[in-house]
Amino acid sequence: MAIRNLELRARTVVEGFWHGLHRSPYHGFSVEFTEYRPYSPGDDPRYLDWKLVARTDRYFIKKFEDETNLRCHLLVDASRSMMFGSRGYTKADYARTLAATLAWFLHHQGDATGLLTFDGAVREYLPARHRPGHLRQLMLALEKPMEGRATDLTAPLRRMTELVRKRGLVVLISDLLAPVAELDAPLALLTAGGHEVIVFQVLDPAELDFDFPTASRFEDLETGRDIFLEPTTARRDYQRRLGEHLDAVKATCQRLGITHVQLSTAQPMELALFDFMKARADRGKIVRRRAAA
Amino acid sequence: MNFLAPLFLAGALAVIGPILFHLIRRTTREVTPFSTLMFLTPSPPRITKRSRLENLWLLLLRCLALVLLALAFGRPFLRETAHSPLPPAGEGRRVVLLIDTSASLRREKLWDDLRAKAEARLRAAKPTDAFTIVAFDLTPRDVLTFEDWNKARPDERTALALQRLGTLKPGSGATHLDAALIHAAELLDQPEQRAPAEIVVLSDLQEGARLDALQGFVWPKNVTVSLDAVVAKQHENAGLAWLPEGDDATPATADTVFRLRVTNSAEAKREQFKLRWPGAPEFDAYVPAGKSRIVRAPKPPPGADRIALTGDDADFDNTAFILPPQTVNTPILFLGTDADEDTHASLYYLRRAFPPTGRQKVEITAHRAVEAVPAFQLQQAQLLVLGDAPSDAALASAAQFVREGKIALVPLADASSAQAAAKLLGVSLPATEAPARDYAMFAQIDFTHPLFAPFADPRFSDFTKIHFWHHRRLDLSGLKDARVLAKFDSGDPALVQLPLGSGSVVLLATTWRPADSQLALSSKFLPLLHALLDQSSRLPAVHAQYFVGDEIALPPGNTPLTIRKPDGAEVAAQPGAKFAQTDLPGIYAVRPGTMRFVVNVAPEESRTSPLGAERFTALGVPLSRDAASTVNAAQHEARAAAVELENRQKLWRWALLACLGVLLLETLIAGSLSRHSPQPVET
Repeated sequence: MAIRNLELRARTVVEGFWHGLHRSPYHGFSVEFTEYRPYSPGDDPRYLDWKLVARTDRYFIKKFEDETNLRCHLLVDASRSMMFGSRGYTKADYARTLAATLAWFLHHQGDATGLLTFDGAVREYLPARHRPGHLRQLMLALEKPMEGRATDLTAPLRRMTELVRKRGLVVLISDLLAPVAELDAPLALLTAGGHEVIVFQVLDPAELDFDFPTASRFEDLETGRDIFLEPTTARRDYQRRLGEHLDAVKATCQRLGITHVQLSTAQPMELALFDFMKARADRGKIVRRRAAA
Repeated sequence: MNFLAPLFLAGALAVIGPILFHLIRRTTREVTPFSTLMFLTPSPPRITKRSRLENLWLLLLRCLALVLLALAFGRPFLRETAHSPLPPAGEGRRVVLLIDTSASLRREKLWDDLRAKAEARLRAAKPTDAFTIVAFDLTPRDVLTFEDWNKARPDERTALALQRLGTLKPGSGATHLDAALIHAAELLDQPEQRAPAEIVVLSDLQEGARLDALQGFVWPKNVTVSLDAVVAKQHENAGLAWLPEGDDATPATADTVFRLRVTNSAEAKREQFKLRWPGAPEFDAYVPAGKSRIVRAPKPPPGADRIALTGDDADFDNTAFILPPQTVNTPILFLGTDADEDTHASLYYLRRAFPPTGRQKVEITAHRAVEAVPAFQLQQAQLLVLGDAPSDAALASAAQFVREGKIALVPLADASSAQAAAKLLGVSLPATEAPARDYAMFAQIDFTHPLFAPFADPRFSDFTKIHFWHHRRLDLSGLKDARVLAKFDSGDPALVQLPLGSGSVVLLATTWRPADSQLALSSKFLPLLHALLDQSSRLPAVHAQYFVGDEIALPPGNTPLTIRKPDGAEVAAQPGAKFAQTDLPGIYAVRPGTMRFVVNVAPEESRTSPLGAERFTALGVPLSRDAASTVNAAQHEARAAAVELENRQKLWRWALLACLGVLLLETLIAGSLSRHSPQPVET
């Protein structure tokens, strides 16, 4: 977090994580030709090779590789609870840097990357594209100050499924500090839409350990409510309930087939990127195994 | 006194607040921002060691104000005055109770739970409501119709519905929820009815339920769907399914291995299962959670017809019934003088067109004698092929064979052999040798005829690669009943069907001998002959395995049949009819004869993981708002009555008024106290 420029920060993290391109499983219509296939009734006649028809009187369809390999949408939580930080930077800073890192990494891998920041509603939305200047726009959108309110995934994720019709990868970066019952339906909606979903749950070390030294009034960043607390006496109960919440989130993700990665803001960013790569690779294995079966 | 919102009474506990404030002298002012207070409960601030309460009257007034406020929010009402009936509700609801009776309901106590839910809904029915009960597994069945409900006296309706409900029990069928929902929607789709209509699905809502047909279904207006699921305590379920060999597999031998598919549910913690034939040692099957594995069962002990799986929670799908494939004998009779190994003759190719398979054995008998064909041979034969120069006696046998409903195939080797066909048919059939050209091809083919129907797809309809060097020109002008199935490109008939008695004669104006054509070498030859054999024998297609609810075609014949079901019950059926009472898994035997068939529970019924409501939302099912929760209708009714009473009494207003009064008094006393207390000196 010592580097102020977000793009530079992202670039520094990505160094060393260049694992080569993955090929697209979809066939689109761009410049890169892949194969011929005989025409069968019902195919779009636009893609017939008319020159071949003229020469040989045979009907063939030209197939091309899709222009982009992967459509990835980064969903960044900009709610007030993300403004908490005990290490000189907030969870929001960490989430932004993580989003920027993934965006930079995917962009330079040739993938289309989109961004959606939200609190109770959608704040910023950039559709997934891969074109010059898009990464710059994405960084600018990420650098805008986040002044969100309460975390509510329902409305933004519903909007997201409306906006994004084509299946792809969805990376959700949030602290997921909302009742699990409220998280279940929106996440199920995403997976039901056919998206592959990776959730990065970003938490501050102070949230995990609750090691505040003195008694004071604790103010909820989202609601403004405050209560008086003696941290030494409240710690055990807090950690038990947080643990239950985290277990419930993990169980929900596992049930819905979502990859869940918990990150502490004390962790280096490279580890997060490594987790991302690993999740993608594991998913690839599953898909290949299914295809082989 | 009763309360509409008794939880608000807990607000009275807030009196602790004023008591503490009266005791506390000072608490900390330091504020720590924190991301969420979700997991925190306030710990009481340290209080000063002052045990004496000051301003007791003021404290009592403040406590009283809080108690009155809590009372007002609790919305009190007096039950004693609840004599007046509910105002008329107008036109009542129309409700379809969809009761799942599929095999998966036989788990644990799911069926009892489901019945209890259905009974609660029926008991809560208002006099103006109309109920219908539809049970479903593979198909929906009306158990109680709207007419039945309306015809019954209002006070007897619930009893009637409960009595009909009592007749239901879960069977062994699969869950076709889509068909049931569509049937229910059609029952409710009456544009003249404006009352709200509701479909209540009482089911275990398992993952294996079929929903495909709901894709694109247009739901009628006013109809909502409530999902009321019964939930199993144990989700772990492993299913067992037999994978029979395909129809074209080689004939079964003593060493044939039975393949079984074992599936395990995604939530399962157990991955090791035991399988066993009755009276044989167990063997293991390892299946990870959410996966399926093909297991090769060891050789079964003699007479074993089932294999059982143990090691999971639900038993309903743990037995697979298995029968070794039964070979059906369909003999073909060839009348002619062709030698068996003569590669220039028709019989040589005919013999090679019917290799034995697991399901069918075709024996070709050549009758070369001049005498008539023995009656038993004629009776057994399913197709007759006429070779060259048959004797008159053989022709008479052939005519008798055709008249009884079978087919005779007559390839015309030369113009004179048409005369044999004419004699067989008893008509005049002039034929000449067609003038020699390079070659002829099939040109116009009647793909609507069952013989050519398998070739109707454009991928298979190309017959132009079969070249015919020689063929005969038939004059069909005198035959009105002749149906030309295919013509040569010259326009001459190539394949003609002529009825005779209840059967028919199929004339091929050429042969498949190499001297005449390439037909025997082409990929169409075998399918054509097999289609002809199927047409002639009219034997129903027999599958190695059926699932509960499938219809089974019974063999044709003249004697009435009896089918013995797995539970020992015997059902009479007509030969050639469809047998649909396959409601039990097991082995069914058809008498007279040796036909047996096996019926198993459908494999998708084993997928018992719960189905999410989002699947229904994605398919456009109009779910009602309380769809996800299981609503107790009786409680709803009681609550509605209480709301009504409370609305009329409005006791909360009095409580609020009293609270305001107390607060006013408190303000006055506090004001007077502060006036009389010494003012702090500001520095």
